[in-house]
Amino acid sequence: MVRSIPTWLRVAAFVFVLATALILLAPLFVVIGVSISESQFIAFPPNGLSLRWYQQVLSSNAYLGAGWISIQIALMVTVLATLIGGAAAVAIHRRQLIFSDLLATVFLSPLVLPTIIYAIGMLMFWSAAFGPVSPITLALSHTIIALPYVVRTTLAVLAESDPFLEEAARTMGANRLQRLSFVVVPQCIPGLAAGAFFAFNISFDEAVLSLFLRGPTLTTLPVQIYGQLEFSPDPSVAAVSSIMIALTVILIFVIDRMLGLTRFASA
Amino acid sequence: MNDRTESLLLALPGLLLLVLAFFMPIGQMLILSVSGPDGVTLSHFVRFLSDPFYLGILWRTVRLSLVITIICAAIGFPLAYIMARVGPKLRLWLVVMVILPLMTSVVVRTFGWMVLLSRSGMIPEMLRDMGLVGRSFALMQTEAAIVIGMVQVLLPFMTLSILGVITRIDGRLEEAARTMGCSFLQSFRTVVLPLALPGIVAGSLLCFTLSASSFVTPNLLGGTRIQVLAASIYKSVTQTPDWPFAAAQAVILFAGILLVLVPYIKMTGPKDG
Repeated sequence: MVRSIPTWLRVAAFVFVLATALILLAPLFVVIGVSISESQFIAFPPNGLSLRWYQQVLSSNAYLGAGWISIQIALMVTVLATLIGGAAAVAIHRRQLIFSDLLATVFLSPLVLPTIIYAIGMLMFWSAAFGPVSPITLALSHTIIALPYVVRTTLAVLAESDPFLEEAARTMGANRLQRLSFVVVPQCIPGLAAGAFFAFNISFDEAVLSLFLRGPTLTTLPVQIYGQLEFSPDPSVAAVSSIMIALTVILIFVIDRMLGLTRFASA
Repeated sequence: MNDRTESLLLALPGLLLLVLAFFMPIGQMLILSVSGPDGVTLSHFVRFLSDPFYLGILWRTVRLSLVITIICAAIGFPLAYIMARVGPKLRLWLVVMVILPLMTSVVVRTFGWMVLLSRSGMIPEMLRDMGLVGRSFALMQTEAAIVIGMVQVLLPFMTLSILGVITRIDGRLEEAARTMGCSFLQSFRTVVLPLALPGIVAGSLLCFTLSASSFVTPNLLGGTRIQVLAASIYKSVTQTPDWPFAAAQAVILFAGILLVLVPYIKMTGPKDG
């Protein structure tokens, strides 16, 4: 006879999940709480409700400037990583190149190398070869760390695709470009879209490369927040942080609606 | 044009970018780590490995990373199991609960902990009110603060690594064990745990690597007094600045991580990524 799961265990599991949720989400709620506080100082639980810190952020040139740079770089990264990573994923999936196993490893290798090691290399190499770092440097380095995500999501979608569709298009007389644009790319769309969202998110939130590759006019939002936290945090930092959290929530919602979140979580 | 050329053309932009902006920078860093004023030198490595101050930093990095990894595994494994076995609706919420912090900037999450752990923050206040700690108790600028913050940062990585493996475990194996008379805990220990082990190992390696190489959270929660290796590297790049020494420290960090990773890669073989 099968003994059922004891009640105490079910209760323990429930408590465990609640406690974990608390650990995982507490910092986010705290940040949001601080951002709507009246108080001059960082305080949680907040005393008094006010949106004045948001107002301050929206009239601060430092935050707006950093936010604008972050958005520009994240958009560049999204386009570059999606195009380059998507194309690479198709090449890896077709397995026609003699070194296609190696190719997959090469494209996923930025995942394995700790970002700080890569960041130093990039700073040293770039300043030796091309002079001071520019937004392009930062965008390229973010593209490198976003590439594996695009390659992975696209490969995951391609693995479920029908290989005979392209074959059929070929026998019907479609040329290479037509097969790519009317058969292969449409099949890849869910993977490409997921990869694009991840790429945007990675670039927009990334702090390590942005800290190493910063310049007087090249400060992204996470770097700006980091600087504030090191020296003089006030509730306006919480307001910017809350805006970033809101953006993440929207992004997750969109990914889930378009593609299903659980599918990519356990891939 | 044949099929092979087409594949090559598709992969080419990525390969070019990787060579120019990934492999060459790493090469440059390796070269710099052994370059001195007059040719090749190992002096930067000798300087690091013979100074008790830096050896202390190295030891602290290893020790904290181990503690963080173990705590993450202890929480992540049961959490992943629960996620895999609950209904689809609840699973979606649990996935959101794990992914939302994962996709939020580390800087933002660390800020949350700074508020919670600060002298007048909620957690020390609560501990003081409960009489568990003295009046002068502080959490910020301690190793405990780093561990708390890093566990929250890395737990999603651990959970998702294990979840990927657990969802692929055949549910009938557990049912078989249960119908043969195993209690739930017995089947959990003798069936689920061994089958989930590859995921736990992979997640642990990921956690260890990420934890050993992070500096944003340790810097903000531990302060400048409690340095970890990555923080020391950052300091050598931005404050001192001593690039060859920074490069040497990065090589030491990388070598340490490879030391942990290579036996695992050898063990599991190249068949799954």
